[in-house]
Amino acid sequence: MSCPEWRDRINAYVDAELPPSDMAAFRAHAEQCAACAAGALALTESKLAVRRAGNRYTASAELRARMLSAAQGQDLAEAKAEPARIEPEKHWTGLERFTSGMWPRWALAAAALLLITVGLFVANRRQESKTLAEFADLHVAALASANPVEVISTDRHTVKPWFQGRIPFTFDLPELQGSPFSLLGGRVAYFHQEPAAHLIFQYQRHLISVFIFRETSQIALPASVADQTSSFRLRTWTQGGLRYVVIGDASDGTIQQLAGLLHFTQ
Amino acid sequence: MPLFDSLYNFARWLTRDESEAEDLVQECFAKALRGFSSFTPGTDFRAWMFRILRNTFLTSRTGLRAKLTQSLEEDEAEGESVAVTWETPESFALASATRDALQAALERLPAEYREVILLCDVEEMKYKDIAEVLSVPIGTVMSRIARGRKLLRQALAGERKQSPASAGKVDER
Ligand SMILES: [Zn+2]
Repeated sequence: MSCPEWRDRINAYVDAELPPSDMAAFRAHAEQCAACAAGALALTESKLAVRRAGNRYTASAELRARMLSAAQGQDLAEAKAEPARIEPEKHWTGLERFTSGMWPRWALAAAALLLITVGLFVANRRQESKTLAEFADLHVAALASANPVEVISTDRHTVKPWFQGRIPFTFDLPELQGSPFSLLGGRVAYFHQEPAAHLIFQYQRHLISVFIFRETSQIALPASVADQTSSFRLRTWTQGGLRYVVIGDASDGTIQQLAGLLHFTQ
Repeated sequence: MPLFDSLYNFARWLTRDESEAEDLVQECFAKALRGFSSFTPGTDFRAWMFRILRNTFLTSRTGLRAKLTQSLEEDEAEGESVAVTWETPESFALASATRDALQAALERLPAEYREVILLCDVEEMKYKDIAEVLSVPIGTVMSRIARGRKLLRQALAGERKQSPASAGKVDER
């Protein structure tokens, strides 16, 4: 490709929007061509300058407080209107659970809180945190969807076999009897094209997601991390070639407790 | 920046008014909660929220007024080259501009270019997500980004020429 042709695509290059092969081709060209290299540099610096200038306004503490209390008010109202709790012993079928209206209503209220207070949906963070933010996205997206789980069961002996043939690995689930957690169900999620088992647990009025997938070199995650920077608490570790991620808006101790249960299942 | 802060920042740029921006963000969250079931998992959640925010703005009084007075610059610009001309010092005018100068230039930019540049550079959204927010084809996103950046460069390069106390006329083209 010649200089004039590259010039039309240089915006897409600095925005990382060219196909990977073209990204590499441009870099090769820029090594030989000072003009194109200077152009890409100028545009990249411009982008950074615009980002600094565009991050201009901060919401007042009053607005923040108003929105939080509105969300919490909604949460409480939902709790009063819906005193029923999910009985861990009872085996709910999908239809029962959804027609009972239990999940959607308080899951929505929980999502309302997350929406306002989340600190993880962040573009301009370090790559590591960015990767972690993607789990927050998956977690909220599942809660927000009409069908948060594909297999609905509180029984680990039902949920585990359901994943067979759907994901390319197996895993064990802990006995939850006597623990404060209950299993709500599971679904298949994708993380960087890698199929993952996505399990949703309940702890009081919090929903907690657990993602399990094969550890691959493409996915850059620290060996173990506890992210405290947002209203989400997150624990991740690897075990037997599998990566575990536990994320939710419950307290750090709660997340750690569930992580511990999963960790010592094997 | 958390989603809430991003939305508020964008709302202020859209409305240019503090209390209007506050109303807009609150209405956006209320709409998002009511319409949660229409969110498609796997699509970009931030883009979905920004789309709601922007659509809410467009139907507000300020938004409607802005639409009526929207410049026709995009049509005029058709066919004009937006290629980066980096042989000139103009190409670095933007990178070396002060934050104040850049904010002033962004304010003067026609709304359709300002919003696309904010979404791309400040929010770091992918073109396909910006297209989703604005309900336009990706090609339109790309041409608006290129043209918007060019307008910004020209504005800042012009300003610099002008700044040493009215020394010579501003020649932008
Ligand atoms: Zn070249």
